[in-house]
Amino acid sequence: MTQHTLGSSQLFKRVLGWGAILIGAIAVVASLLGYLLVGQKGLVSALIGASMALIFVSLTALSVWIGGKFSLGGFFGMVMGGWLLKLVLFLVLVAVLKRATFINGPTLFLTLVASILGSLAIDSLVFFRARLPMGEQ
Amino acid sequence: MDVTNIAAGVTGSLGVIGYGLAAVGPGVGVGLVVSKTIESIARQPELAARLQVTMWLGIAFTEALALIGLATPFIFGK
Repeated sequence: MTQHTLGSSQLFKRVLGWGAILIGAIAVVASLLGYLLVGQKGLVSALIGASMALIFVSLTALSVWIGGKFSLGGFFGMVMGGWLLKLVLFLVLVAVLKRATFINGPTLFLTLVASILGSLAIDSLVFFRARLPMGEQ
Repeated sequence: MDVTNIAAGVTGSLGVIGYGLAAVGPGVGVGLVVSKTIESIARQPELAARLQVTMWLGIAFTEALALIGLATPFIFGK
């Protein structure tokens, strides 16, 4: 990641790309560990946890990126509406998966937490290395 | 009837209260991030794009807490 002036859409493309790569790597490691420690349930849980993290983390960046193309009201509607929709979706997913017999709870939780923390690190790294132009629209 | 008796009469899943509390903190946090961004854009509209991107980083950190809090049923809930 070189340090040069980035447009905000380039920044979001970079965040989404690097985030997907990192979460993919976490999914591979976690599913391997899950399979070795818990068995097939561990593998499935790690993959579900990583997919959930990828979807939810990417949705935030996407909502800000797409919302940025609208007026100020549209932007905040998109970001806050996206956030609300995401949390409701997450609650429904948790309610459904909690009853599922094919998952291992701790593996799913740990993969989800590792993926979220990893993507936060990527977000910060990309953001602080990018020098955004002051007056970009 | 004192508070202890009222609390003893509560039935159902206590986890639900926990999930609710997990959403309160990040909800307030995201609200603050967004309100301050609106305030800043109103003061300096020419910085809107830059502030929007900075706001996204603030939201990402705040919502991480919400996601982790809402996923706790996988380890604590039974």
